Amino acid sequence: MADVQRHVARFTHGSRIPGWDRAADLEKEPAVVPDAATTEVPGELRAAIEDAVRRFPVGDSAFIPALYAVQAQYGWCSPEGIEQAAAVLGRTPAALTAVATFYDMFEMEPLGRKSVYVCTNISCSLVGADQLLAALEEELGEDPDVNLRGFECLGACDIAPMASVDGVYVGPIELGEVPELANQIRQGDDPLPAKQLIRRPCADPKVAEQ
Amino acid sequence: MTDTLLFKGIDEPGLNTIDVYLARGGYTQLQRALKMKRGDLITELTGSGLRGRGGAGFPIGKKASFIPKGDMQKYVVCNADESEPGTFKDRELIQKNPHQLIEGLIIAAFAVDATINYIYIRGEYEQQADILDAAISEARDRGIIGENIFGSGFSVELELARGAGAYICGEETGLLDSLEGKRGNPRLKPPFPANEGLFNGPTLINNVETLSAIPSIIELGAEGYAAIGVKDSAGTKLVSISGNIERPGNYEVELGISSREIIYGLAGGPPDGRKIKCWFPGGSSTPVLTADDLDVGYDYDSIEAAGSMLGSGAIIVVDETQSVVELAYKLAKFYSHESCGKCTPCREGTRWTFHMVERIKEGTATPMDLDIMAAVQEQIIGHCLCVLGDAMAMPIGSLIAKFRDEFEAEIEANRNERERKLAAEFAAAEVEIEGISA
Amino acid sequence: MPRPTEKLVSLTIDGNEVQAPAGMMLADAALKYGDVEIPVFCYDAKIGPPVGACRMCLVEVEGIPKLQAGCSVAVTDGMVVHTDTPTVKAAQEAVLEFILINHPLDCPVCDKGGECPLQDNAFGWGGGLSRFIEPKRHFEKPLALSPLIAIDRERCILCYRCVRYSQEVAEDDQLVLEERGADTFVTTFDGHPYVAPFSGNIVELCPVGALTSRPYRFRARPWDIEQAGSVCTLCPAQCNVSFSVRDERVLRVLGRDHEGVDDGWLCDKGRFAYQAIHVDQRITEPLMRDGGELRPVTWELAIETAAKLLSHAGAKTGALVGGETTNEEGLLLTHLVREALGSNDIDSRPGGALELELLRALNAPTLQASVPDLQYAHAVLLLDCEPVDDAPILDLRLRKGVRHHGVKLLIASSRPSALDERAAHSARFAPGCGEAFAAALGAALAGKPSASLAQAAGADADDVAALAAQLREAGEEVVILWGERLTAGPRRNEGARALLNLADELGLDGRDGGGLLEIPSGTNSRGLRELGVLPNASIGLGDAPTVGRDSQQIGEALAAGDLSALILLHSDPLLDQPSSELWQRALGKASTVIAHAAFLTPAVLEHANIVFPAESYAEKEGTVVHPDSRVQRLRRSIARQGETRAEWALLAELAALLGNDPKALTCSMVSARIFDQVPFYNGLSLDLLGGVGIRWSERQAAASFPGAPSAPFTLDPPPAASSPNGLLRLGSFRSIWASPEVEASPALAFLHPRQRVEISPADAERLGISNGEIVTVASNGDSVNGLAQIRANAPVGTVFLQSSIPQQSAALLGGPMVEVKRA
Repeated sequence: MADVQRHVARFTHGSRIPGWDRAADLEKEPAVVPDAATTEVPGELRAAIEDAVRRFPVGDSAFIPALYAVQAQYGWCSPEGIEQAAAVLGRTPAALTAVATFYDMFEMEPLGRKSVYVCTNISCSLVGADQLLAALEEELGEDPDVNLRGFECLGACDIAPMASVDGVYVGPIELGEVPELANQIRQGDDPLPAKQLIRRPCADPKVAEQ
Repeated sequence: MTDTLLFKGIDEPGLNTIDVYLARGGYTQLQRALKMKRGDLITELTGSGLRGRGGAGFPIGKKASFIPKGDMQKYVVCNADESEPGTFKDRELIQKNPHQLIEGLIIAAFAVDATINYIYIRGEYEQQADILDAAISEARDRGIIGENIFGSGFSVELELARGAGAYICGEETGLLDSLEGKRGNPRLKPPFPANEGLFNGPTLINNVETLSAIPSIIELGAEGYAAIGVKDSAGTKLVSISGNIERPGNYEVELGISSREIIYGLAGGPPDGRKIKCWFPGGSSTPVLTADDLDVGYDYDSIEAAGSMLGSGAIIVVDETQSVVELAYKLAKFYSHESCGKCTPCREGTRWTFHMVERIKEGTATPMDLDIMAAVQEQIIGHCLCVLGDAMAMPIGSLIAKFRDEFEAEIEANRNERERKLAAEFAAAEVEIEGISA
Repeated sequence: MPRPTEKLVSLTIDGNEVQAPAGMMLADAALKYGDVEIPVFCYDAKIGPPVGACRMCLVEVEGIPKLQAGCSVAVTDGMVVHTDTPTVKAAQEAVLEFILINHPLDCPVCDKGGECPLQDNAFGWGGGLSRFIEPKRHFEKPLALSPLIAIDRERCILCYRCVRYSQEVAEDDQLVLEERGADTFVTTFDGHPYVAPFSGNIVELCPVGALTSRPYRFRARPWDIEQAGSVCTLCPAQCNVSFSVRDERVLRVLGRDHEGVDDGWLCDKGRFAYQAIHVDQRITEPLMRDGGELRPVTWELAIETAAKLLSHAGAKTGALVGGETTNEEGLLLTHLVREALGSNDIDSRPGGALELELLRALNAPTLQASVPDLQYAHAVLLLDCEPVDDAPILDLRLRKGVRHHGVKLLIASSRPSALDERAAHSARFAPGCGEAFAAALGAALAGKPSASLAQAAGADADDVAALAAQLREAGEEVVILWGERLTAGPRRNEGARALLNLADELGLDGRDGGGLLEIPSGTNSRGLRELGVLPNASIGLGDAPTVGRDSQQIGEALAAGDLSALILLHSDPLLDQPSSELWQRALGKASTVIAHAAFLTPAVLEHANIVFPAESYAEKEGTVVHPDSRVQRLRRSIARQGETRAEWALLAELAALLGNDPKALTCSMVSARIFDQVPFYNGLSLDLLGGVGIRWSERQAAASFPGAPSAPFTLDPPPAASSPNGLLRLGSFRSIWASPEVEASPALAFLHPRQRVEISPADAERLGISNGEIVTVASNGDSVNGLAQIRANAPVGTVFLQSSIPQQSAALLGGPMVEVKRA
C-alpha cells in the first residue's frame, strides 16, 4: 500500500443517487407550462394522450397513461417527450417528471427497448433468482437493445424463479434454459412458450377435479 | 371442504370471454342484486361476514355502509395492485375469470350508488390488464356497463387504470393518489376514503378477491356464505403459496383449515424432505412463524393469536437451508426500495436497516448492531404515516427475535471471513506497517 | 363564505385546561393557547392543510392507542393530550435520530445556523446521540437552483415544504420531488432553473439550510444582524417586511406575516430588490446639470439653486408625484406647490384627473373590500388588472381562495391572465375597452341588452352573459378587484361610472365580505389621493378651492410654454405616463426640472436640472395607505446611505426658503398633522398603527368621509373598439419586473424585462412571423422592436407589448392600431 490515497475526494463514496448532484443550468429558461402554439407534438402521441384525457376526465389522472405514451413513442421518458406531453396536458413538465420518477416502469434514461425484468424478491430468490439474473446478465448484459434488470416481486411466485419479457411472464426458468431464452429475447421470439404463465393450469387440485 | 367458489371452473377454456362466462350463468347474480334495495344489499354483504382480502381484513359490509348517501359523485375502486411479495392470487382471478370481478364490482357499485368506477391494476401485469381491458369492452358492448343496465335505471362506468411499478400504490390512499395522476404517496387519515377518497368523493376501495367473492354471496345468500369458514373468518380464501415448496400455486381453502394442511397437504411441503425454518403466513410484511406454529388454524384470529397476521393470504415457506440474514437483506432491500419517502421513520428507517444488514453480509457488523437494528424496528413501528414501515419492521423484528443466535453466528462468521480475506490481501501486497504484526 | 370559526372548545394539554378555537390543529392550539410547543418540521399552516409527513409532532391523545400527529389532529372538546410522556419522548427522539442520520453537521458554515428549526428541535427534543455509523451521503454543494437560490441536498430533510409551496401556494409547479423513498430529492425539470415570481419564499420556508438565498449566502450570522420591521413600498401590495440589517446595510428581506396584507409571503422583487439600496448607480448625493452633464454638488448649492429656480417659476410650476411618495412627503409637497409657489398644478394620477365626485364614490368606506375578502368571498371578479404584475402578492391570495375556500374566480381583462387556469370563467376585451366591458356586464346583470356594448368592448357577448350568470349565482359576497387603468385614459370618468354601476347592480355598497378593491398604479396612490395630491381635491378629498392642471394638462402646458418648471417627486413621466411623445416635448421645453430620484431613469438623466437623492424605503419614515385603506407605518431601518437626507425635511426646507415655512420639525409631527387634517383619519396615531396598521374605513371616523353621488349613473355609450382590419390592436402592460430597483439589483438584473411581442398563432401565421424572431411594431411613424412570442391564448387581432421599460417601451407607440412585421 505504497500509494495510500491521502486525499479522499469529498464526494466519491456518497454520490450513489443519480440526480442528487444535478444543478440547474442558469442559461436555461424556467420550465413553465409549454405553450401549445409553439410545441410540436407527434400526432400519435397527441392522440394517445387525448384519449387518456377523455377516459380520465378529472384532474391529472391522465398523467400515467400519458407517460406510457411518451415511453412508447421515444423508448424512454425523454425530456422532449415529457415537454410535449406537458403541452398537451397544460401542465409543467416538472409535474410529469415528479410522477415518472416515482414509478419503476418509467425509464428516465434511454435504454434497450426490450424490457426483461427478473424478479429477485424473497420467493424467487429462495429458489435461485439471483443466479438466474446473473446468468441472464452474462448473456444479455452487453446487448444495447435489452433493458435487463432485477425487479421487485412481480406477483408470480408460483413460477419462481421467473422473468417478465416485455410483459410475458415465464418460469420456472432453469439455468440450463437461459441460453435458449436469451436467444429468443435477442431474436424477438416468443420466450420459452411452454413455460409461460398464461398457459399454466391452476395448482388447486379441486379445480382439475371439477 | 366445500366446493370452490372463486375458482369454480377457473381453468375452463375461454372463461375470460363473456360468452363462456354468460353460458356458465355469469351476470345473473348482478341482475338479482339490481332488483334488491340498496340497503338490503348492504345488509346482505354485512351478513356474509366477508372480510377484505387485500391485507387489512376489514369487513366489506361495514366498509360499504360508511359510504355516505347523497347526490355527490361516489366511486368504487378495485385494488388490483397486487404487489405484496408472495401474493399472486388476484393475478389468477383477473387473468382467468375477469368477468367475475366485473360482476362483483358492479354489484358493489350499485350497493353504494357509485356510477364511476375504476380498477387499478399494477403495471407489471400487462397480459392480465389486456385481458381485463378486453373483458370490460365486452361488458360495455353487451350493455352490462353503461346506461340503465339490465333496465334497472342504474348507470355505471368502469375504466381500467394501469399502475407503473410502485408497491406503495397497493396502500389504498397511495393508490388513490396514483389514480389521480400523482406520486403514489399515502394520505393522512382521516379523512378516510369512504368520506373523502378519489377526487375527494366518497370511495369504496376493495381488493380483487373481495369483489370477486360478491357474486357468490348473492348466489348463496348471506347465511349460506357465512356458513363457510369459521367464526369471524367467513368464506373461502385464496392462498398463494411459494418459496421452498413442492407445489407452489394458488389454493382455495375454507378459512380455519390448519396451516399444516395447506403447506404439507395441498402444497407438498418443502422439497427433498427438508424442514421448515420459518414461514410468512400473509405475505412478506407479516411477522414470521416457525415450524412450531404449523398447527395454527388458517384464519384471521388464529394467526393473530400466534403473533402474526393473515394479511393477503400469501404463505412463503423458508426451509432450513436458507440464511436468515439473506432473508432480512431481501426484506430490507425491498421495503427501502418501495418506501415512498413521505414520512421520516419509514424513509430513513428502512434505508438504515438495509445498510445494517448489508454490513452484516460484508462482515463489518458486530452483535451490537443487532441491538441497534432491533431498536430501529421498534422506532419505526407505530410512528409512520402508513403501514409500509411497519411492514418491514415487523418481519425483521420477528426474525431477530426468533433467530438471534443465527444472526450472531453469521455476524461472527462473516467478520472472520472478512478478516481472513483482508489478512490475505495484506500478505499478498507484502505490506509492512509498524507496530502491527500479521 | 365561512371564515375561521370563533367557537371555543376546552381541552387538556399536559394537565392544563386550554381553550382553543374548534377545528384548530393541535400543534397550533398548544403553542398559541397552551404555551406548549409541539415540535414540527413539515407543518406550516400557511402552506395549506397538514400532510403529517415528518412525524416530529407525535403526541399522545387519550383514547387513541397510537400516537397522533399533532399537526393534523383538530382540537375537540374534552380532548386530553400529553406531550411529555416517555412514549412521546421516545417517538420524538426516534424521529430526530432518523432525520439526523443523513444530515451533515456542517452548522458552523451553514447560513441557517442559529436560526434553524432543526437545531432548535434537536436541542429541545432530541436524544443527543446517534447510533448511525454508516457513511452519510455526500454530494457536491451548494448547487444553483436558480440565480437567486442555492440548494444543498445533503442538508435536505425532505419535509416537503418547498415543493408543496411551489405546487399548492404559488402553483407554478416547477419545483418537485423526483425519485422515491430515501432517494427522493427536490429538483426542477431537466436542469431548468426555478424562476418564478414568488420563488424566494422557499428559502424562508426551509427548516434547514438546504435552500439558501444566493445574495445572502455567507453575508452574516443571525447574531450579527438586527431585524427591523417596516413595509415594502415597491408596489401597491405593501407587504410587511423585516429587514435584516448589519452595519447599516440591508442584507436580506424577510416576510413579516400579516394576514390582512400579505399572508406571510413576498414576491421576489420584494425579497431581493433591497440590493438596489446599496448599488453604485444609486443617487446618494445632490446632482446639478453642468454643461449638459449631471454632476455632484453640495447640498447647500443644490437647495439654494432649486429654491431660486422655483421662486423664478412661481405659479408656473407643475409637480408630478410618484406612488412611492409617503403621505408626509405628499402633504409637504402640496404645501410647497400650493402655498409657497401658488400653483395648483399637482397630480399623483398618471393620465389625467378623475372627477372628484367619482373619486369619492370609488373610495367610499362602505364600498371597500379588504385583502382577506379575496380569500373568502363567494366570487372575485378581476376587472382590467393582472395581480401578478400589478400587486403580486394578491395573486397568491386569490389562488388560496380558489384552492381552499371555493372562491369563484372570474376574469375580465384584455391580456390573458396568469390566473386564467384557476378561473371559473375568463373573458377578453380589446385593450382600453374596460369601460365598455364594465358597462356591458352591468347591463347584462340588470337584464338589459348588452350585446352591442359587448361588441363595443371588442368582447364576446356570450362571455359577458356567462360572467353575469356566474356573478348572479355566486352569492352575495362579491369582490371586484379592479385596475386603475380602468379609470385612466380619455374615457376615465365613464370607466368609473360603469364600475360604480356594476357595484350597484351587485349591491356591494355596505356589503360585508364584498366590495371594490382597486389596484392603483402607484404604491401609495390611495394615500396621496386622500391627502389631496391631486389637481382637483384638497386634503381629505375635499373640494379644491381652485382646480389645477392634471398630469396630462401639465405635460401639455409645459410643451406649450404655459408652465416652465416641473417637480418630479419619485416620478419619471417617460416611464409612468401614457404618452412618451407628449412628455418628450414637455420635458424638452421645461426650463426647470427638479427631480427627487434614486436612479437616473430616462427623464432624470436627460432633463433634470437638479436631482435630489431619494431615500430608499428602508431609510424612510412616514406612513402610506394600502389600497384596502390600511394606513401603515414605515420605520427607518438603516442609516441613509451616502449624502442622502430625509426628503420630508428637504421639502419643508424648500418651502421655508420660498417664504412659507410649513413648520415641520419632525416627520412624526407631519404624520400627526395628517391624522388631524384628514377627517376620516381622525384619532389615528403612529402608536395606534404600530406594526400592523389600521384600516381607516373600519373606524368610526370613516363616517366623516365626504358624501358622494350614488349609482346608478347614466352612461355615455362607449365608442366601439377599433377593428383590426389588417393592423393589430396595441395592448400594453407593466411587468412585475419592470422597475428601476429590479434593474439595479445585481441578483435580479437577469429578470429585468426585454421587450417581447405577444401575438396569437393566427396573426403570426398571417404575418409570417415565427416564434423568437425580432419583429418591429409600428404606429404613426414610431416603432419599437421586440422578440416575437407566439402564445396559444393570445387574443386574435391584438398584440401586447410592455410599458415602463427604459428601452423599446410600448409607451413610445401611439396606437391604438399598430403594424407588426418581421424586422
